[in-house]
Amino acid sequence: MEGTSSRWRGILPAVLLAALFVYAAWPWLPFARADRSPTTIVFYGFSILADAFHDGIFPAFQKQWTAEGGGRVEFVSSFGGSGTVTNQIVMGVPAQVALLSLESDADRLADAGVIARDSWKRLPNSGVLNLTPFIIVVRPGNPLGIHGFEDLAKPGVRVVHPDPMTSGGANWAIVAEYGSGFRGSPGGPAAGEAVLAGVWKNVVAQASSARAARTQFENGFGDALVTYERDALYDKSRGRLRAEIAYPPRTILSEHTLIVVDRNIRPRERALVDRFVRFLWSEEAQKVFVRFGFRSVRPELDAANPGFGSIADPFRIADFGGWRRARREIVDGVWKDRVMKAAPNR
Amino acid sequence: MRSPSASSAPRAAVPVGIVLLVLLPLILMPLSAIFIFAFRGGADDFLRVLGSRDAQFALRFSLLIAFATAAINAVFGTYTAYVLSRYRFRGKQPLGIVVNLPVAIPTVVVGTSLLLLWGPIGLLGRMLAPLGVQPMFAPAGVLLAHLFVTFPYMLGAVKPVLDEIEGTYEEAAYTIGASRWQAFRWVILPALKGGLFSGALLTFAHSLGEFGATVLVSGNLRLRTQTAPLYIFAQFEAGNVAAANAVAAVLATLSFVIFFFLLRYTERRGR
Repeated sequence: MEGTSSRWRGILPAVLLAALFVYAAWPWLPFARADRSPTTIVFYGFSILADAFHDGIFPAFQKQWTAEGGGRVEFVSSFGGSGTVTNQIVMGVPAQVALLSLESDADRLADAGVIARDSWKRLPNSGVLNLTPFIIVVRPGNPLGIHGFEDLAKPGVRVVHPDPMTSGGANWAIVAEYGSGFRGSPGGPAAGEAVLAGVWKNVVAQASSARAARTQFENGFGDALVTYERDALYDKSRGRLRAEIAYPPRTILSEHTLIVVDRNIRPRERALVDRFVRFLWSEEAQKVFVRFGFRSVRPELDAANPGFGSIADPFRIADFGGWRRARREIVDGVWKDRVMKAAPNR
Repeated sequence: MRSPSASSAPRAAVPVGIVLLVLLPLILMPLSAIFIFAFRGGADDFLRVLGSRDAQFALRFSLLIAFATAAINAVFGTYTAYVLSRYRFRGKQPLGIVVNLPVAIPTVVVGTSLLLLWGPIGLLGRMLAPLGVQPMFAPAGVLLAHLFVTFPYMLGAVKPVLDEIEGTYEEAAYTIGASRWQAFRWVILPALKGGLFSGALLTFAHSLGEFGATVLVSGNLRLRTQTAPLYIFAQFEAGNVAAANAVAAVLATLSFVIFFFLLRYTERRGR
């Protein structure tokens, strides 16, 4: 009796191990192998895009491609912060198509020689695929009466803000805050700087990404959060956001830039990738973006999402001379060199 | 065996209680949170999430990498331990330290240095690129990272056992005409079985949970290089807490089983 039980004790782990191995290797075993070589598209995107692409865009394109007689197409994708994705592409990940939060990340890829300079400008709509305005999320009932970026400068308001050093969204937010003052009355650069300085005087937490800032706010930290409208709508639709969106009268629409990495596309994949890129600007794909909370590059489609609030004076990065100039003059020139230097204790 | 432990049971209540009190917020509660959140949507939801293609791929890929890592490091680690234990040479001590370093280096640093070496723009990677070989952002890159990160575990499990084995048995084997290999195969290896077993399990478990280096060298591509921990992280990022916790629960259960066998084995040997 004793002998058999101890022999079993040795066999049990071995059997478990073998079972685990067979389970793990199953799809790669020769007899279980189905059609293992579908054509693929490798897609990288910044973080807030994941569900819109997984659940909306990819299935829609797969259906379309099959209907057009192209056969089965498989998406291999990865989502992370826009800066992270950019760094990965510079390091050589096999991305074929990527959607970045900031056009300056595309510039960075061009500087690194990964893509041709301004190649994205030859795409439809200069490479801009979809948009979302920057808004303020406040506690239920808006107890502090926040209706614009100017109100964030009021004494006692605690602002949760992503960190512009690491977050693409935070860079948009800075231009939104500056622009709100710049385009208000009396307006002008001095007013822009005043709003920016006022908001940043009240920033109590700088999170590394828009996502992390949201998590801090959700956990009860701060009175107001500056973020993408899309992220707030998404949380609201899942019932996770116990807060309201305050739409500023003047704010920026962030524009998300698509790039195509030609050096990662083999000749036989060219037609497929081109078709996918064209599909992204089609009415069908743009409607998917609207459904998932992004504003379309075709404004007439936005009516389909009742969640979108109205903004009296939406502006674009082009109104400040594009990202190269805005970074030099607003992010570096005003925010980094003046606003942050004026607050030495931070 | 039974009577002393039975008589000490009442006295054990207080220290055991203290241990539990300390462990509750530190380990037990976070662990149970994984399972609570994994099953919050019910068992159907749990199975549905776990059955998704992404989750299945991530789990299988992680397991295969863990098997490969354990097997390869079992060979390399044992050989290194053998050399370090049986040969005298200049630089032996520094070498002994260097092979243990991977434990102390942050895994993110490991990932970065692998990229700088083997990546498409890396030192060696540039030379491989014309040959069409591209280890990074592919399963090979993940394996390289895991081999590096887990290397010391095998060594740590085997070398102390090797150091303890009396040289006289080996010498006896040599005197009757055994070769080095024969002496290793018939004298040392049987004694090493326990160390090999626990080293391989430790390596396996660490490989299953590896994150920092993997996230850099894999490119985090779903259905291609996304391991289970990367899947968990990606799902958390996307706000799918249930999906993340379902896979986390599986990993936690696997680790539990692994350490259960590990503990039972070492206990049996200690008796």
